Amino acid sequence: MKHKLLFFTALLLCLNAASLKTQAQFEIGVSGGYDKNYLHTSTGYRAFTKYDALSGFVVGIPMQYHFNDWLAIQAEPSYIQKNYEQSRDHFFDGIFQKTTNTYIQLPLMAHFSFGGHQLRGFVNMGGYGAYWADSRIKGAMANVFNSGPDLPNNQQVYNYFQFNQAYNYNEKYAFDSRRDRRMEFGLVAGAGVEYLLHCKYRFFVEGRYYYGLSDQQKNYMINQIPRYNDTYVIQAGCLFSIKNIFHHAHEQEVKTAE
Amino acid sequence: MRHLHKYIFALILLFMAASCRKDIPQINDPGNYISGNFGEVFDSYWTGMNNNYVFWDIDTVNWDQVYKTYKPLFAKLNLYDSNDVRKGYTYFKQLSAGLVDSHYDLSFKDSWLKDSFSINPAYQRKVASPDYHNPIDIFNFYDTIPHHYLDPGWKRGFTNDVDKQYVAVSGTIKQSTLYFFFSAFNLKNLFNTDTANGVKRVEQYFFDKLKNTPNITGIIIDVRGNGGGSLADLNFLIGQMIGKQLDFGYTRSKQGNGRLDYSPWAPAFVTPQPGARNITAPIIMLADAWSVSMSEITTMAVKSLPNGHFVGERTWGANGPLTDNKNYNGGQFSTDYINLVYTSSLMLKYRDGKIYEGIGFPPDIEVKYNQAAFDAGRDLQLEAAIGLIR
Repeated sequence: MKHKLLFFTALLLCLNAASLKTQAQFEIGVSGGYDKNYLHTSTGYRAFTKYDALSGFVVGIPMQYHFNDWLAIQAEPSYIQKNYEQSRDHFFDGIFQKTTNTYIQLPLMAHFSFGGHQLRGFVNMGGYGAYWADSRIKGAMANVFNSGPDLPNNQQVYNYFQFNQAYNYNEKYAFDSRRDRRMEFGLVAGAGVEYLLHCKYRFFVEGRYYYGLSDQQKNYMINQIPRYNDTYVIQAGCLFSIKNIFHHAHEQEVKTAE
Repeated sequence: MRHLHKYIFALILLFMAASCRKDIPQINDPGNYISGNFGEVFDSYWTGMNNNYVFWDIDTVNWDQVYKTYKPLFAKLNLYDSNDVRKGYTYFKQLSAGLVDSHYDLSFKDSWLKDSFSINPAYQRKVASPDYHNPIDIFNFYDTIPHHYLDPGWKRGFTNDVDKQYVAVSGTIKQSTLYFFFSAFNLKNLFNTDTANGVKRVEQYFFDKLKNTPNITGIIIDVRGNGGGSLADLNFLIGQMIGKQLDFGYTRSKQGNGRLDYSPWAPAFVTPQPGARNITAPIIMLADAWSVSMSEITTMAVKSLPNGHFVGERTWGANGPLTDNKNYNGGQFSTDYINLVYTSSLMLKYRDGKIYEGIGFPPDIEVKYNQAAFDAGRDLQLEAAIGLIR
């Protein structure tokens, strides 16, 4: 609860910063992109079972405060999906579950940039906090009470669904407060290039990696297998200085009046 | 490049923080442990239970505490000392005593334990309960009921398997109420076998009556003392009496190694069989404290019918279906030392949202076991069931 409160306070402060008196060093924008999340865990000795990465998307509001020409601090409140799939194979082929996890995330990064005036490279490094806001599960499992038609004697069987037919589901996941840890903290690193257009709009593309340091589960059992999110993001966006935009607009108004 | 050292410093900080993740423990298949000493024997069992047992969601046993308490105790035992083996057996009995799974049964390979009973916590609890009574004598069903309650023309029969005897009785009461008793659920197999057997003849009689009796006023299915058996019998028997799918609950299995890693709830239902007759007259389940597993599941299914009733006693409380642990990633397993940890593969929840594992399914009309009445040739539970049929 304490973590949740801290996280949302930080998020509100960041959003509030955008509405404060704008400064030349302060930029705000929008970003969005594609992500792929890998669940770092183990299936132990579960037979014919594996975890796979799944794609998702991310949208955010990047905010930068520049200290000088090469260093800025960046926060980016975001909506991000960290999805993964558990599936079985061979005789159990067809049994799977896709988990779509939604996080409200706040990365806080040092933004190092280098290069020319218009085209610059940059590196982002820092940490993030995220709140696991929602989860959906979609999949197919064998239903022991759905035996289906009898199999003829001496007929070969190729799939477990021939014994117990599939139950297909697509439902909201019910969080279990004994197990699920909904706050996530981790590290983030990214690199990209940015292009300054008309001295006002800074377009960028970036590859980013979120490295979860919090187990998705609370410590509730001995020999617990942890679950960490590893999320790769490719995103693009645009930053602009609010003051510059209004300043130019004001100049134009003055010119028109003259 | 002026600021290269700052980038390098930041990178070093990142890598240091990255080492904060917990290591992923090596979880081994309990069947792969080598039982060279009691420490390994305990570890294999504890690990199997930790990952396979399906009831951790509702079980009150503190499995972490079991590890902390019993790991050092087992470590002191010598596998090659018969006194220590007996002590180990006692430890297993103590640590599993509170497990809610009422199918649970622990049997051992150790030759020093070959004369010992398997450990069955639900049975131990049953014996210790104030309401405990022995199962109803099979001759009540095989002899007393046909002669005292059924119309002439009833059928009875039995057949012997390698390690089990199956008994069945069927007849009519006042010509229009059908009665069917069977001692275990293996009806479909016995019916479909080419070999003639006593149970098959009784089944054929019951199904003929179900199909041909013009105005059925009621059906009594008697599963008292029935220890359960094949899940396929649910459709095979109850599927003959319904006109549409009968939903009565939900099941879920383990989906990961964590104690609380579960699949979603899948619906539990009975599928009507080809040629089924939709019975609208009362269908009454007769069950008692010795009605286990499939007997309870069948009772739950029938009670979900608008015309379904349950007369008798609260059932045993072992509702979770069982199958091989590979199939549902949980449930029963063996180790080098333990012959079988017999435990459910799935958890069953009744349509009312309650899980009756460990507590038993309650009757609509409770009629307690009455030995004096049985001795006098009367079956008060059957009489109560008959009383429900007008």
